[in-house]
Amino acid sequence: MESASVPLPHGAGGHAAEHVHHGPPEAHQSSRIDRQVLGILLFIISEVMLFGSFFASYFFLRVVVNPESWPPHPFELPVAVAGMNTAILVSSSFTIHYALEGIRKGNKQAMKLGLVLTWLLGLTFLFVQINEYVHLGFSDRTEAFGTIFYSLTGLHGAHVFIGLCLLSAAVIRAFRGHFEKEPEKHLGVEVPGIYWHFVDIMWIIVFFTVYIL
Amino acid sequence: MHYNEAAVFKWVLIFAVAGGSAIGLALLAGSLVGALYGLVLAVIGCVYGYRWTRNWWREARNRPGGPDYKP
Repeated sequence: MESASVPLPHGAGGHAAEHVHHGPPEAHQSSRIDRQVLGILLFIISEVMLFGSFFASYFFLRVVVNPESWPPHPFELPVAVAGMNTAILVSSSFTIHYALEGIRKGNKQAMKLGLVLTWLLGLTFLFVQINEYVHLGFSDRTEAFGTIFYSLTGLHGAHVFIGLCLLSAAVIRAFRGHFEKEPEKHLGVEVPGIYWHFVDIMWIIVFFTVYIL
Repeated sequence: MHYNEAAVFKWVLIFAVAGGSAIGLALLAGSLVGALYGLVLAVIGCVYGYRWTRNWWREARNRPGGPDYKP
């Protein structure tokens, strides 16, 4: 088969036979951070700004409406159920960390177990959230409070759903044996793991702001 | 500092402890106290983030890839 070679710079001709490069040149990158990890961190920074705008709207409404009690009468939020859901989501961060620690040590069974548990906990969280929406008794069209409540929790729920999609791909790839001990060979778990932790941290803030304050 | 999942997990623990203490305080002492405590935590976090970022840029020249880096 004929191979295409890239013209080599002056002085590199002596090793031309050993260094025939195929495809476009390697992009510049830092030796301290993978491109994929850098990408997800930058994405998370943009997500923090998105959530920040929603929190700003929430506090703006709360200060402008300034009711005697919050949530305003007759709204009631199921704090205990949401608290239980918080515990479920925080637990899922521990299980994804367990999965990553497993693959870092070359233990693929631990990784699979951790990933499946995380996926199940995430699904439970989402199911409880949807169940809560069904039984709340108000919709997103019910006054400004309903709108901002569904916007904030719904935005987070959408992130959980995306996280579950990423975890689904990671679970499938884990069972197909795609991941190895070396850091660059399990980025498919590392990146969803970082995203999942972000979703978890964001829920702690959403829960504290919307349900507790 | 390594930029990986383990580093982010550390922040999950920090947020869980900070959030848990704020939730506990808000439930015990009322929303206003909880909100003020949360605000104090947020300000501390911002100051820490600002100082960390400033230090990160200050030392950028000496890190691998920087112009003053000596292996």
